Amino acid sequence: MVTITIDGKEYEVAERRTILQAIDDLGLLMTEVDIPHYCFHPKLAVDGSCRLCQVEVEGLPKLQIACDTPVRDGMIVKTANQRVKDARKGVMELLLINHPLDCPICDQAGECKLQDYSFDYGIESARTQEPRRPAKKNADLGPTIVFDQERCILCRRCVRFCREVPKTGELGVFHRGDESVLELFPGTQLDNPYSMNVADICPVGALTTKDFRFKIRVWFLDDQESVCDQCSNGCNIYASRSNNKVYRYLPRRNDAVNDTWICDHGRMSYKQILENRLTEPGIKGQRDVGYRDAIQEAGRLIREARTSSRRIVGVASPYASNEDLFTFRKLLEALGAGPGTFAVQRGEADDVLIKAEKAPNANGARALGFEESYESVGAADVAIVLGHTTTAEYFRDVANLILIDTHVSSLMDQAAVVLPARVTAEKEGTFTNHANRVQRFLPVVEPKFEAWSDGDLLQQIASASGLGGWDSMYSVHEISKELTESIAAFADLQLGSLDDQGRELS
Amino acid sequence: MQAQTLQKIEALFEKYPQKRGALLPAIYLVQAEKGHVDSDAARELAELFELQPVDVWEVLTFYNMFYTAPQGRHHVYVCTNLPCSLRGARSLLKGIESHLGVHCGQTTADGRITLGHEECLGSCGTAPMMRVDGEYVENLDLVEAKRVIDGLD
Ligand code: SF4
Ligand code: SF4
Ligand code: FES
Ligand code: FES
Repeated sequence: MVTITIDGKEYEVAERRTILQAIDDLGLLMTEVDIPHYCFHPKLAVDGSCRLCQVEVEGLPKLQIACDTPVRDGMIVKTANQRVKDARKGVMELLLINHPLDCPICDQAGECKLQDYSFDYGIESARTQEPRRPAKKNADLGPTIVFDQERCILCRRCVRFCREVPKTGELGVFHRGDESVLELFPGTQLDNPYSMNVADICPVGALTTKDFRFKIRVWFLDDQESVCDQCSNGCNIYASRSNNKVYRYLPRRNDAVNDTWICDHGRMSYKQILENRLTEPGIKGQRDVGYRDAIQEAGRLIREARTSSRRIVGVASPYASNEDLFTFRKLLEALGAGPGTFAVQRGEADDVLIKAEKAPNANGARALGFEESYESVGAADVAIVLGHTTTAEYFRDVANLILIDTHVSSLMDQAAVVLPARVTAEKEGTFTNHANRVQRFLPVVEPKFEAWSDGDLLQQIASASGLGGWDSMYSVHEISKELTESIAAFADLQLGSLDDQGRELS
Repeated sequence: MQAQTLQKIEALFEKYPQKRGALLPAIYLVQAEKGHVDSDAARELAELFELQPVDVWEVLTFYNMFYTAPQGRHHVYVCTNLPCSLRGARSLLKGIESHLGVHCGQTTADGRITLGHEECLGSCGTAPMMRVDGEYVENLDLVEAKRVIDGLD
């Protein structure tokens, strides 16, 4: 460790880091220590191309770029004196020389670093009269991204991202000096499983996603903390919402899980909140039954199976939260049904983020004693099923299927009772990811029809089937408390005590 | 890329502590063989240097004496930097453009001449000047420039 002084305050920082990296390590960049920067990104190689991060380092005659100046013990840094302020103004002026200043029609407005820094550190008017250099507008870079070359400030973040993260290297800055342009390598498209991250890291409105651009002004959105449920990596995300609708997912930084990235598939999965949802309860193919009736019917089936001692089985879903699964486990125990099973779909994986298990909580199911099984459940009178990855085949010999599911599926036709459930974005809970990290997600939107979380529904069914002790209102926080008190691996991982970065199972 | 070029490039690797240090001279060798270095050649080089094609392309396009598209038989490059411009280089270039019927950066239809402009070639004392196939032609006016150009086969 070395000690550096920034604007009169001392900080202990790691050796072999640059000034900006060291401040970012402490989590203080732009919160406590304001050094504006464009090209620096904590998860990409240092570039030093924008020159905005200049600071004064005592003993050195010229201003230094903080992103590429290594810290040394006793270093004294000044970030806010007149000399630094003037230098920033100069850099901002140069960066704006060719900028179209088309904020009113630019989709980045409101979350644009060029706007923010111009306001905080720039100058108020332009001194140039020369025409801006001609550049491409609305250029198609591939299936996901649109490029506005006029707005590009050549920070090379997108270039480094493609080169370093998916390692596909589609983008580069070609030519030289005032002829430099960001372009695709000839004959290629920006097309990789992580392509849309470039829109997040582009500090200006040069790169925008086809999916989100012009959908809504960002100042109408607020970001709720969530976790992606499309594979077992459990990337941390923000869900940007407005008027009870999700408009996009953005990566939320978690250095232990997803750095600052998410995959395109996960990003687009917000559409599943509205698409193809199971909206109505049903009893034996009849769709216009009341929610209460469907729950009573499920209760009746279970009661009958119990009185005549016929077999009841439980099939869990790796999409269900730890809390939902724990409620399920408790119910199966109370029914004397033996441990439930679950199945998880597998697909492609890579060494960036994407994992083979295409569900968020297979490890949670494992930790809670559910057995992985891909066989038919065998002959049973009642099967209680938390839908999703299960197929009709498993339930060949089941007389009465009670299906709790979020989306329309082939299983519905076969079910005695169907109950619409909430998706991740509509409830609160935790998932256990592939590395056994337990991560919380918060409710983002309310369903547009009646639907309850799996745990809530299971509690209502238990109560309807006459089991004692299940009559209280379902509370995910109560369940979390019970879960963490009764299962050793989850000790200390109570919903209320987890922060936004999650913690590992013990 | 011909086996001979490849051999020369591989011989270069030993001269540099890091392989990628040899990229510039390697691009020269490929250009000497083919007259230009296109994106396929950049891919080949990238593989050889264990780089991404885009790395090679960034280097290649940075220098204006590397060509990414086929060039004319002869290269005529007029210096348009400040001292030459003060001595009439811009109108000289315009004159040559209309004489050849192409814009700066283009090649004549018969593939005879590629016309371009250049930053300072270090010959300001004899401005304006142009570079014809690597040779300096100095103290120019349009008449002399046309004479030299018309003399090219
Ligand atoms: S497109 Fe955006 S991220 Fe890429 S170089 Fe330009 S400003 Fe930077
Ligand atoms: S890698 Fe997995 S968890 Fe991460 S965004 Fe993609 S699908 Fe979601
Ligand atoms: S952030 Fe340091 S030069 Fe760009
Ligand atoms: S300006 Fe033309 S040779 Fe120097």
